[in-house]
Amino acid sequence: MTTWIFRFVSRVRGLFGQKQADSEFDLETQTHLQLLTEQFIRQGMDSKDAYSAAHRQFGNTTLLRQRHRESRTFLSFSTVFQDVRYGLRVLGKSPGFTAIAVASLALAIGANAAIFSLAKGLLFDRLHVAQADQLRMLRWTQDQHSAVSGMWGDFEPAPDGQGMLGSVFSSPVYRQLQAHNQVMQDLFAYKEDGMNATISGNAQRAHVAMVSGNYFNVLGAQPQLGRAIQPTDDALPGAGAVAVISAGVWEREFGRSPAVLGQTITVNQTPLTIVGVNPRGFTGAKNTHDSPDLFVPLSMQPVIDPNGKNGSLLNDSELWWLNIVGRAKPGIPDAQVQAALDVELAAATRATITVKSGETVPRLVLADGSRGLNYAARMFRKPAYVLLTLTGFVLLLACANIANLLLARGAQRQREMSVRLALGAGRMRVLRQLLTESLLLAGIGGAGGLLLGYLGRNAIPRLMSNGWRSTFDVPMDWEVFAFAAAVTLLTGLIFGLAPAWLTARTEVSSSLKENALTTTRRRKGLGGKAIVGFQIALSTLLVVGAGLFLRTLWALDSVDIGFRTDHLILFEVSPPVKRYGPGKDVQLHQRLEQGFAAIPGVEGVTTGLSAYIANNMDNSDFLVEGEDPAAHQRDPQDMNAVGNTFFATMGIPIIGGRSFGPQDTGTSEKVGVINQALAKERFPHMNPVGKRFKTGHDWVRVVGVCGDNRFLNLRDAPPPQFFVPWVQMPEVGRLTYAIRTQLAPGVLTPVLRQVAQQVDRDLPLAELRTQREQIDETMQTERMFGVLTAGFGVLALALACVGIYGVMAYSVADRRNEIGIRMALGAQPGQLRRMILRESTSLAIVGIVAGVGAALGLTRLVKTMLYGIQSWDPATMIGGVLTLLAVALAASWIPARRAAGVQPMEALRHE
Amino acid sequence: MSANKSEVLQGTLDMMILKTLHALGPLHGFGIARRIEQVSEDVLKLNEGTVYTSLLRLQQQGWIESEWGLSENNRRARFYSITKQGRKQLAVETESWERISGVIGRVLSLEAEK
Repeated sequence: MTTWIFRFVSRVRGLFGQKQADSEFDLETQTHLQLLTEQFIRQGMDSKDAYSAAHRQFGNTTLLRQRHRESRTFLSFSTVFQDVRYGLRVLGKSPGFTAIAVASLALAIGANAAIFSLAKGLLFDRLHVAQADQLRMLRWTQDQHSAVSGMWGDFEPAPDGQGMLGSVFSSPVYRQLQAHNQVMQDLFAYKEDGMNATISGNAQRAHVAMVSGNYFNVLGAQPQLGRAIQPTDDALPGAGAVAVISAGVWEREFGRSPAVLGQTITVNQTPLTIVGVNPRGFTGAKNTHDSPDLFVPLSMQPVIDPNGKNGSLLNDSELWWLNIVGRAKPGIPDAQVQAALDVELAAATRATITVKSGETVPRLVLADGSRGLNYAARMFRKPAYVLLTLTGFVLLLACANIANLLLARGAQRQREMSVRLALGAGRMRVLRQLLTESLLLAGIGGAGGLLLGYLGRNAIPRLMSNGWRSTFDVPMDWEVFAFAAAVTLLTGLIFGLAPAWLTARTEVSSSLKENALTTTRRRKGLGGKAIVGFQIALSTLLVVGAGLFLRTLWALDSVDIGFRTDHLILFEVSPPVKRYGPGKDVQLHQRLEQGFAAIPGVEGVTTGLSAYIANNMDNSDFLVEGEDPAAHQRDPQDMNAVGNTFFATMGIPIIGGRSFGPQDTGTSEKVGVINQALAKERFPHMNPVGKRFKTGHDWVRVVGVCGDNRFLNLRDAPPPQFFVPWVQMPEVGRLTYAIRTQLAPGVLTPVLRQVAQQVDRDLPLAELRTQREQIDETMQTERMFGVLTAGFGVLALALACVGIYGVMAYSVADRRNEIGIRMALGAQPGQLRRMILRESTSLAIVGIVAGVGAALGLTRLVKTMLYGIQSWDPATMIGGVLTLLAVALAASWIPARRAAGVQPMEALRHE
Repeated sequence: MSANKSEVLQGTLDMMILKTLHALGPLHGFGIARRIEQVSEDVLKLNEGTVYTSLLRLQQQGWIESEWGLSENNRRARFYSITKQGRKQLAVETESWERISGVIGRVLSLEAEK
């Protein structure tokens, strides 16, 4: 042990003073040689003979100096340089091997870095504020008998299937919770909503956060310019006409001009003064990826976003609409906080609304607030995990490929190594040479992976977003990149060094002899074959996965939507309530409809409550005359409020009765159209035309029956649905316009905007897109899965192909002698070819069977993501198997042909 | 090279050098080579260069040390001398060598008796 330390220390010392040690050693050997020569002369040799005899007796001085140099210290740089040069030459000599190895490494590292960055961003990113982990969001659960019924905001079925889970509270409840809260630091409230804004002269739809006065303070956010919203701004209802804008708006609308402070913008016709600009990366308390455009005091709600019975929600106990967030107090466990706040919530609820006997109050749930409402994570959790698994498989596959290539190559180079050892190379030297080569390969592959990961990081979010909304940023995740790089590099090192280690350990002479003598197959290739079998199994899994998602995509593409989706331009118009009260908004929409219809090239204009296939729907209660009200109390039907030309413009057929027309006005009898599905469900065995139903407080007469169409998305079958003309509604608010035209959207859009501005200068046309773009956006998850899994499938096939080729080519080269002897003994080339193909096919079959087995087990997990097919879809399975078989045969075709082309004499003479 | 010379047994050169330095005091490489040649009475075949490899190894292990001085005919030469640790190591190695060679000798003589 101590001697080991001594040696190490002296070697470290040897790192310094190389030159001096060299010259000292030279001096020593020179002296020795001279003394020896002199001695020989004294013994009677002539000087020339004495000189050469001395050198003979001393040995090779150059080699000795080299040995000394190497044992004095760890590595000599000259030999490292030599290794690198030689390594590059070796890699350059087999460009195929190098390209394949580098490409596998690059693709695996790149794909992993990109997908993991994306998933991490979506699922695990926190709000960009200090100590986000302290943030807690107040939520609640309630059952069917809850006294709270008016809700504006998010709620969803509770995970346990019992009642609802939501996160909105009324303003009086918020104030009471805030006042009585002892267990958390200060609570703040906010509401995010879309509003019409005119910023720097541009009318647009803006995403506005109305925030309580302590919002910025509790979040710990400081504007980069100007000041934040302060408690004094939020003091009086209707007062505090100030706004803080996002860094994005500052850049987009003001070109980052510092003169932005003090400028005026209008939000729903109300002028607000800009007092601050948020820092980049600040996204508010709700989302982790995009920021509201404007932050305004909550006190402005009655003015800019009137809602409820008298416009102001600030003292309205009925409507629950505010999100509440706070910071945890250090040292108080969440369970205790939840219990304390639950008591407060129950008290506040009972104090602000009347709870009848038999009714319940919501129970408070303390949730993590560090990711806001965490929409992205909830929406994309499953797809993200499936994608992560798939990329994990790709990484595994690439590692297997590298291992396989390096093993085959190491075996092929065994002879070279033996020769080098025989010629006097040290074992460490040979190992170092191979290590250098592996590192070179890994380095090049890693650089390629970095490039691909960077590009992929930019490309994948594009797949997940759409043409008319901004994409969100995914920062490159360096930890992920480092992880993927480390895994693949380690694989490269282990499998590059394993054969080298074995070679270096074998006795030189035995290895040289063995090669000459062995003619029969050895079991040495088994490791490589196991790896290829594993690769084929993984590839089968990935190909089957790709098949399932592509078939889903195709199935969705070919569903009958029920209306014509081509040449349809959509946009939203939201008349501000302040300027267009009930009745006035109906007139505005009528004027707009007429204006748009008059544009040359427009074939049809119509309006509806929301666009179809946009994951959006409206519903309302529906009771056929004569039905028992109690039976259908909680049974609302999907509905749409439409313009007169709706059915003709959308291409939905009227099957019985009539469509809406000019005779249906605000004062005529209320009329409705129902679709076939609703007719079948609620008017069985009768003609519904002429019958009446009640919705809201109105009795509506059915005047027509129309065809069914898909509503929320492409997956769900067309639901029962009824239509009413919006001209007969007391107020409509926001409508979605649909324009049927042969003109390109780019040509028509400026004209549409012009027409709208002639009617109202501040009226924006929001979310302009075609119906096809809308469908693509709604189906983006499916689309992304189709594209990415198909990419993974192709990648898997390519890697498997390389693996099979590598192993079979190696096997043929290794068995040259055996093949030569077989030929000499009369085997036909065809027989030999079949022999090789049979070998690769049986290898492939083992892998494919394993792969199909795994696929049958795993695809069940993605069942809900598929459409129109079973998770064990026979066509996909058979297709996958055939593809893999074909690839296996194709990959072994060249080695098989090479085997058949072996000249027996040459093969036998070769050794 | 004559066929009746024996190869230096691996590892024994180190021991021989240690013993030489122990017996004769500080010596330079040439002196060590001469001494081993002399003692072995030309039975051992020695590549004299390997003496230096051995010297470097011994020095790295701390068993010998060296300093520059003048040789008998006024040439600069590096003189090696054994250290305290080297003496200990020599004792250990001598003992184990004697044990092994004793065993081998007994085995061989057994065979001769038969």
